[in-house]
Amino acid sequence: MATSLNLDPFDMWRQAVAQLEEGMNMLGTQSLKSDEVSKTLLEISTVSLQMQHVLEKALSKYFKAINLPSRQEVSELADTLRRIEDKLDQLLPAAPQANIPRPARTRRPKPDAPTQFAPGPNPRAPEPKPRRTAGAKRMRKEAR
Amino acid sequence: MNATPTASAIVRASLVDRLQSEVERTIQRNLKGFEYIGSPAPDVGTTPKTVLHRRGTLSLYHYHAVAEEVYRVPILLVMAPTNKAFIFDLAPGQSLIEYLLARGHDVYVMDWYAPSRAEAHLALENYTLDFIPDCVRRVQEDSGVEDVTVVGYCAGGLMSTIYAALYPDGPLKNLVCFTTPIDFSKMDLFRKMADPSRFDVEKTVDSLGIIPAEMVINSFNMLRPMSEAASQVRLWDNLWNDQYVKSFRRMERWGAETLPLPGGYFRQTTRELLQKNALYENRLTVGGRQVDLARIKVPLLSIVAQYDHIVPPACARPLVERVGSRDKEEVVLPGGHVSIVAGPNAVKRMWPKLDQWLQERSI
Repeated sequence: MATSLNLDPFDMWRQAVAQLEEGMNMLGTQSLKSDEVSKTLLEISTVSLQMQHVLEKALSKYFKAINLPSRQEVSELADTLRRIEDKLDQLLPAAPQANIPRPARTRRPKPDAPTQFAPGPNPRAPEPKPRRTAGAKRMRKEAR
Repeated sequence: MNATPTASAIVRASLVDRLQSEVERTIQRNLKGFEYIGSPAPDVGTTPKTVLHRRGTLSLYHYHAVAEEVYRVPILLVMAPTNKAFIFDLAPGQSLIEYLLARGHDVYVMDWYAPSRAEAHLALENYTLDFIPDCVRRVQEDSGVEDVTVVGYCAGGLMSTIYAALYPDGPLKNLVCFTTPIDFSKMDLFRKMADPSRFDVEKTVDSLGIIPAEMVINSFNMLRPMSEAASQVRLWDNLWNDQYVKSFRRMERWGAETLPLPGGYFRQTTRELLQKNALYENRLTVGGRQVDLARIKVPLLSIVAQYDHIVPPACARPLVERVGSRDKEEVVLPGGHVSIVAGPNAVKRMWPKLDQWLQERSI
């Protein structure tokens, strides 16, 4: 008789990791719901952000004093350059764009097109409509 | 002679096979672990496209059609400003864009770059009254078609919904929303984190200007504190499996490239949506105009992820109830916030459903 008992130690280890993850996530989210934990985390986060801000300001003043750009400024300069390059690309003659296929906009849905769709549990979802009717077209016109 | 092996012999043989397989995997793990450390980040977003427009944090792409005939109505995908849009185009075979192109749709995408200091003021007004209408106009010009279908993901869906409510007279033809938050009272943990009695959003925005990406990543990670560590353990376990590692690294890259947020947008979404739940309670104003979801009359498809820990189903489901559309449908699919768009289940379930819904409304 087949038994459902899993004796594979590697599978057991993987299941243990999944269970640990689930348990710890649940514990973490439950703790976050408590006022004390969320308050403490917010305070830590605020203090850390303020410290970061103060440090950045101090470093920025220091770099200014020694006439050097900060990492932030270099990164912003690089961003600006990238944007200028993008703009230049768009201003150049659009030769390659002419080769981009522009097919006719005449496609119609195929009534017998295969679909792999397998809906999940959704008691509220209505059945998909088979084809648009004249009434639906009128509704759309009214809506617009 | 009876040659039937006993149950214990089968278990023993099976364990020996598993042990052998694990030893082989361990060797592969060690060999490929070095490759992993030394190799560059995987390529993403490789489907051919043209940059139609760049303006500061905003980019508009047009993807090159692959079908001989396309549907009349073009699709504009709107990404959330927290992340890059390459989640729609991770890799061949794992790309919603590639799938839509193959199914005969004309696809445009609104993507975001990290906002510069000069863009720290950007708020919902800029996204919904300027960026989206501007991109819709450019899509109209480029495609030569007046109608446009807008498809928004997460906060992209939120902005698309606000846009649809503020422009009820068109040119929007259809609206599709993936995991779009509407009732923010159901986002328990985010609301706790943004509780006005403890979190001073004004002070934070005034001191930072731009909200750092690390802060955005940390707020998401806090919802699943153990998942980051567990995913690293799973990566180590699957280091022998090239396909798993490639897929993991693409998703990891997407997560790592989370974008900083303009302070104005962060302030407004925290105060008006998370703290006051103004959209759900019909009190949200954008640019002095009230956002009334009942004014949305275009066909709507809302896709909700059953196991979404960021936008829980209860937070997304009121969208279908609130809009004034007669042609509206909600689909709840098994999957999480990201896997609903880019995971293996997306390929089997969400993409075909999206294509099926769009086909008859894109002619």
